[in-house]
Amino acid sequence: MSLASSAEPAGPAGDAEAAQAAASPAVHAMDLRKRYRRTVALAGLSMTVQRGEVFGFLGPNGAGKTTAVKILLGLIRPTGGDAMVLGAPAGDRETRRQIGYLPELFRFQAWLTAREVLILHARLLRLPRPRWAPAAAEALAAVGLDGRGDDKVGTFSKGMQQRLGLGVALLGEPALVILDEPTSALDPVGRHQVRIIIRDLRERGTAVFLNTHLLAEAEQVCDRVTVISKGRALATGPPDELRRARPVVRFRVSGLPPGWWQPLANGARWKDEGDWLLAEELDPERIPDVVAGAVALGGRVEAVVPEQQSLEASFLELLGER
Amino acid sequence: MSAIWVLAQLTLREALRRKLVAAGAAVSVALIGLSAWGFWKLSHNHTMTSGEVQLAIPQAFVLFMFMFSFVVALSASAIASPAVSGEVDSGVLQTVVTRPIRRSDVILGKWAGLAALLAAYSLLVTGVMAAVVHAVSGFTVPNVLAAAGFLFAEGAVLLTLVLLLSTRLSALAAGVIGVALFGMAWLAGVVGTLGIAFHVPALHTASEVSMYVLPTDGLWHAVIYYLEPPSYVTQTLGGLAQSHGGNPFFTAAGPTWPYLVWAALWFVIVLGLGLVSFERREL
Repeated sequence: MSLASSAEPAGPAGDAEAAQAAASPAVHAMDLRKRYRRTVALAGLSMTVQRGEVFGFLGPNGAGKTTAVKILLGLIRPTGGDAMVLGAPAGDRETRRQIGYLPELFRFQAWLTAREVLILHARLLRLPRPRWAPAAAEALAAVGLDGRGDDKVGTFSKGMQQRLGLGVALLGEPALVILDEPTSALDPVGRHQVRIIIRDLRERGTAVFLNTHLLAEAEQVCDRVTVISKGRALATGPPDELRRARPVVRFRVSGLPPGWWQPLANGARWKDEGDWLLAEELDPERIPDVVAGAVALGGRVEAVVPEQQSLEASFLELLGER
Repeated sequence: MSAIWVLAQLTLREALRRKLVAAGAAVSVALIGLSAWGFWKLSHNHTMTSGEVQLAIPQAFVLFMFMFSFVVALSASAIASPAVSGEVDSGVLQTVVTRPIRRSDVILGKWAGLAALLAAYSLLVTGVMAAVVHAVSGFTVPNVLAAAGFLFAEGAVLLTLVLLLSTRLSALAAGVIGVALFGMAWLAGVVGTLGIAFHVPALHTASEVSMYVLPTDGLWHAVIYYLEPPSYVTQTLGGLAQSHGGNPFFTAAGPTWPYLVWAALWFVIVLGLGLVSFERREL
């Protein structure tokens, strides 16, 4: 996939500034706060998204995800704190040339064709005129809408509108693409295509800010995720790390009285679930000791299953729902 | 500047695609056809003397143009009211303002596109009506261009006001307020002429104030002035002033320079308020 270039040579005075901007993270938020009358949407959110990384922004509905995105784009102003995007204050007009944005709830002009919508955005991005048509065609192809480019947007299904929205966000080779729930209206095939597009973007060095409540999506494509709740970041790290934060081992042991594990419980939390015994936060190095202990007590160890905690479980745990 | 141009073009294209232009043209052709028939009947009425006909035709022409001024004003309100709020509610504008453009480009682009529509309509309808009345009755409208210009300005006042309202209120609320204010301003003008006729200075003062607050009626009187032949004005002022007291379709004097300067200033202020209001709006 190759999309239109919007690059214009920077003036000599702008070179140092441009170099500094290029070295800065894609997104850097410090203690971001937003209050709507009595509602607190963001309560001191801090995060950093590096250039070229796919960053998952996870949280339940109403956690403040969309509020944060809107601040990054300058659609709303924070009540407190600071946000820098691509080295410029959030909302900076010229920096928006390098940002592609797919809003969560949006519509395009229903009376335009898909191609006309793309050309409109190519013009607003100030792409050179000869690039308008090719850029539109490339974006249509990238999101699987080739063949529908000359249909009116008003005839599109919700999923097709979302694809078009993604195409619009990809115009002009942005350095940062912000996707707010990009797959909410898509079928499994569409979701798969979005994952491919996100991976392509990463290969090209484009930072992707993926706002989602779909954990599987984040797990599959994100380099790092931040879990937010009630306007605050609860944890940040690669999905694998967040998952492994609380390893669980299942034991199936017969022939022993309840509580046999007590002497072996060093630091682990045990949960008796009848047939199965769960050990949370048990150091994997200690598994053989537990097995030896059970055997020494005369028990029969039928199964030992080290489990990878799902991101969902970590997520719920972080949110205090488990 | 280029973003304003892109958005003005988009606004015009929307009017064409969504059949606004076609609907406006169809209705106007029907109205002009009916007007032509009316003028023909009036000018070929054998129960009236030719002098009476000469007085009646300009008066009837002003009345017909009043109907078109109503069409221009209502259309201005109707097209401006969803222009911002409707597109914010549906999420169309959020995809536009996140591009490297100024928020003011959106308002100025929309204003320019809609104003171009109103200008074209005002000029066409005044020109065609003047040609029709000339062909049917021989009456020559004294200054078609000036009348069309003030007709456009009257519509543009509402366009600008409703666009400002649309940056904060729902399309429905903005449109209703625009139409209601237009009606009140017109009525204030009528009340003012009654105030003169019946010597009630307070009514006249209220009307004067209204002319400055919302200059639609003041500009409409400028339209009337450029539609009336000078002989008609002197005749009316000379002998028939009494019977024309309280006539909202007669104007004795053209617009004054201070009033025109104020009207221009009014545009700048209200459009400026619209820009500031949208700039500050959280989307």
